[in-house]
Amino acid sequence: MLWLCRRETLRVSKLWTQTVLAPVVSSLLFILVFGLSLGGRIKQVGDVDYEVFIVPGLITMGMVQAAYANNASSIFQARFDRYINDVLSAPMKPWQMTLGYTVGGLFRALAIGSALLVAAAILVGVPVERPFALAAAVVLGLILFASLGLVVGIYAETWDHTTFIANIVILPLAFVGGVFYSIDVLPSPWHELSHVNPVFYLVNAVRFGFLGEADVSVWLSLGVTAALAVPTYLWAQWLFTTGKKLKD
Amino acid sequence: MYRNDAPALELRGLTKRYDDGTLAIEDFDLEIPAGAFFGLLGPNGAGKTTLISAVCNLIRVTEGDVLVFGEPAHSLLARSWIGLAEQDINLDRFLTVRETLTYHGGYFGMQRDEAEERAEEMIAAFGLQAKRDTRAPKLSGGQRRRLLLARALMHRPRLVILDEPTAGVDFELRTELWRYIRQLHAEGTTILLTTHYLEEAEELCEEIALIRDGHLIARDSAAGLRESFAVDRLQDVYVKAMARS
Repeated sequence: MLWLCRRETLRVSKLWTQTVLAPVVSSLLFILVFGLSLGGRIKQVGDVDYEVFIVPGLITMGMVQAAYANNASSIFQARFDRYINDVLSAPMKPWQMTLGYTVGGLFRALAIGSALLVAAAILVGVPVERPFALAAAVVLGLILFASLGLVVGIYAETWDHTTFIANIVILPLAFVGGVFYSIDVLPSPWHELSHVNPVFYLVNAVRFGFLGEADVSVWLSLGVTAALAVPTYLWAQWLFTTGKKLKD
Repeated sequence: MYRNDAPALELRGLTKRYDDGTLAIEDFDLEIPAGAFFGLLGPNGAGKTTLISAVCNLIRVTEGDVLVFGEPAHSLLARSWIGLAEQDINLDRFLTVRETLTYHGGYFGMQRDEAEERAEEMIAAFGLQAKRDTRAPKLSGGQRRRLLLARALMHRPRLVILDEPTAGVDFELRTELWRYIRQLHAEGTTILLTTHYLEEAEELCEEIALIRDGHLIARDSAAGLRESFAVDRLQDVYVKAMARS
């Protein structure tokens, strides 16, 4: 299993300009454009400066998109080129395959998250008030999206299927999940509707970890994220155990 | 521990029906003794690759048992004993030659030092020294084919399955591969070879099975097949066997 983990992290490292640098630059542009320029007009959200307020959401968005995209593309490519057979025929247990493939997404997302954290700390001085809550939120969120990437990459018949989920589901949910605003400013029914968006809870859990405050209870946020992460991971595990869509 | 007297491969009542309803293999029985050089011949769609995929845990078997040296083929032990070179080139596009071999060794339970040492051995054996740090997509067709074979042999399997290993390769490489495969067999490795080249089967294999439409049609040595079909050439055996209803 360690070799599969190594292979997945090696792939991320070899393609670092695409897998890490590009998402970091794009998230930094959001911080610069929305935070530093727009922040001059919005000033504060609650007691927090706007440029600081948006950082947790942007880091979350960058990380979950990377965790999903990495695993969806890695497993789809392996299926498409059929070199996944080298893994499927190896003396590895299904749980080892699931974990091995999940690690790549986690590694890439954490590399992006760490780079953004350092940059944001320098640029806008974002604090980390609750590190344990932050760690729990990040781990659960990444398991959720890395596993989702695996599931989609296994079911996908074309590259379009993997990008469809990224562009039509994950990105819009992230944008309306309170990355750029507090949902307290939303009128009804948008305020209520935000509560059915799973990314909203993840963004809030991460924001609580950074700032020590959020729109909803951190326990609720972590609970909702965990309630989605566990079944999604088990779904990926089921696919490796049964061989469905992996073996004819 | 494995039984020394167990056949290298036993298929009992193997049936595979794909999700689209295609019946690729039906109630297929086959036993290949340990140490044999066994050939599997048949036209495209006869079920050769399906059979190999069933042995290598790459398809979901509909019915029947597959045993490798007495162990169920899906067990981790059995899987560690099989080396597969597939018909299509399926190399990891992100890995170099050296990494392809080392990672394969790792997947099959080798420690890092052992895998790295064995990878260098295989690189030398297959003449890939100049390409050791080149990624698979940058290799020529012949080099990819060599790497595919080197990967199949990397973890020192007891049963090597070669699915049309010389398809589309030039005469020089084919001769070179034959030499390596023969040497492997002489060292006691069981070889299961599928090929469309009848002269290749006749030259290399001790026993040959002819399959058509997922059923075993005949099985014997090349000489035995010629005798039972009352013809002089294996090519004529093949034509007769495939023409029979």
